[in-house]
Amino acid sequence: MAMRVLIVEDEMTIAFMVEDMLTDLGHDVVEVAMRLPEALEAARGVDIDFAILDVNLDGLRSFPVADILAERAIPFAFATGYGVAGIDEAYRGTPVLAKPFMLDDLRRLVARIVGECRPPHIQ
Amino acid sequence: MGSAANDLQFDGDFPIHGGQLGQLIRDHDWAATSIGPLEDWPQSLKSVTQMLLLSPVPIVLLWGEDGIMIYNDAYSGFAGGRHPDLLGSKVREGWGEISDFNDHVMREGLAGRTLAYRNQELALQRRGRLEPVWMDLDYSPVLDENGRPAGVIAIVVETTDKVLTQQRLVESERRFRALTHASSDIIYRMSPDWNEMRQLDGRSFLADTDSPTIAWMSDYLLPEDRPHMQAAIDEAVRHVRPFQQEHRVRQADGSVGWVFSRAVPMTDEDGRIVEWFGAATDITERRRTNAHLRLVINELNHRVKNTLAMVQAIAMRTFRDAPSFEHAQEQFGARLVALAEANDLLTGERWAGASLRSAIERAMRPHQEDAARVALDGEDVRISPKTALALALAIHELSTNAVKYGAWSGEEGLVSIDWRVEQGRLHMRWRETGGPAVAPPTRRGFGSRLIERGLAGELGGRVSLQFEAEGVRCVIDAPMTFVAPD
Repeated sequence: MAMRVLIVEDEMTIAFMVEDMLTDLGHDVVEVAMRLPEALEAARGVDIDFAILDVNLDGLRSFPVADILAERAIPFAFATGYGVAGIDEAYRGTPVLAKPFMLDDLRRLVARIVGECRPPHIQ
Repeated sequence: MGSAANDLQFDGDFPIHGGQLGQLIRDHDWAATSIGPLEDWPQSLKSVTQMLLLSPVPIVLLWGEDGIMIYNDAYSGFAGGRHPDLLGSKVREGWGEISDFNDHVMREGLAGRTLAYRNQELALQRRGRLEPVWMDLDYSPVLDENGRPAGVIAIVVETTDKVLTQQRLVESERRFRALTHASSDIIYRMSPDWNEMRQLDGRSFLADTDSPTIAWMSDYLLPEDRPHMQAAIDEAVRHVRPFQQEHRVRQADGSVGWVFSRAVPMTDEDGRIVEWFGAATDITERRRTNAHLRLVINELNHRVKNTLAMVQAIAMRTFRDAPSFEHAQEQFGARLVALAEANDLLTGERWAGASLRSAIERAMRPHQEDAARVALDGEDVRISPKTALALALAIHELSTNAVKYGAWSGEEGLVSIDWRVEQGRLHMRWRETGGPAVAPPTRRGFGSRLIERGLAGELGGRVSLQFEAEGVRCVIDAPMTFVAPD
């Protein structure tokens, strides 16, 4: 089932790779946000099924974006080179993709976050 | 000694008893000396000789002008290898190495005067070589039957061991003082149970404690560290072994610092602790540096991971788009070089920001064969590392295209880059002229996507890429956070 996805990633090359990977998996990338302001706006207003968030956006943390998504009950995962240690206490349970990652890692992650959160999201 | 005195038998023999020396004196050929045979000795000489032979104190009698030597067992111990030759010898000859000293003694004594020396140092040869010897020396005249001085009696108590021990102690004390002064460490002394701090020399890092205090914990430690410190102290006291801790301290200026502290117990003969002596090193700066280093390493690790993800992204895209494997290989290599170049630029600037002009120049350098075919125009500004990296990758893509299809593909073409900064926005143009006529590409590749969407996204601005017949044009309009130079 095709999902509508938001990608928040400040490195353009990586953003495009994740976009390509998700497209290959049959999903629909509706927005790629590379900076915090654009990411916040997208998290607030764009109709999406889940999101993948880079933790560090040119020195700024993406946790405010996560806050909005959590409030909207939109599932998400972090993609980071920092590992779990770089994740805010409040989001310790959130799935984490360690960079760099493979297509299969992404496939499993999407299955997991969508599976986990589907009941409340679909109602 | 008391019982020996009771056993004295006066049978007319002289001298009686007196141990080894008593025997030697009885057997000696006194007729060969200036004193004369034993049976002719005056009563005064006999009395003094008998007296010294019965004494446990080292005593020597120097009789007559020559100072003929008569001594007891205790003195023979002092004389070492010089005994028994000394017996009956003239003192100036018997102790030839100090004849001047003894000459003085004889003249003073025979003149009826006493002499007293404390810890007198003389060089004596008792074990085959000259060595310093310290003695307490007491000389007094001995009177003959006519009441005239006829000899000198000397009590000789050697103090060499005492003096040397004292000297070593003074030296050790001096060395210890030098050590504590030479060290930049904080030095402290604690009572056996650590309840009381006796003294602390804080070296201006900590406040000094000059008189004993039981409030030292609240003076120097942080309340939350006290239970932990107390446990470490109790452990050291219980096992009588060195105390060693790295812990926080309240510095003299009130701020919190760190020390590495080590104290050793000083014990008495029974193994009981009499005091703890300790030294503490200020490691505040070292800990700060270590913490900073850990931070830098974590950050570096993250950047490496991120860079690897970028390499992965570039590889995937390059190999997917390429018309042939060889083409992909070449393109991938070139893109990695561009990434490495940009990275160099950033590490050169310690990741704190880079010069816009050098970012452009370095990104173009691998592609441009002739410096005359590039025109740069704009005031140099410092841009953030991330902006520099994004621009460098975009310029690499534009340059690659210029070499293959654009201004740099022929003999004549020129690439002009100009920029200006206005109201916090960067306006930048890439223009190619003089190359072959440009036809818009049938398919937009990774390069175009990187420039149009990627750069625009990263900069949060607009980027347009136009394939005009005259040459490629790329226009950037983006807000900029400029970095102030260090």
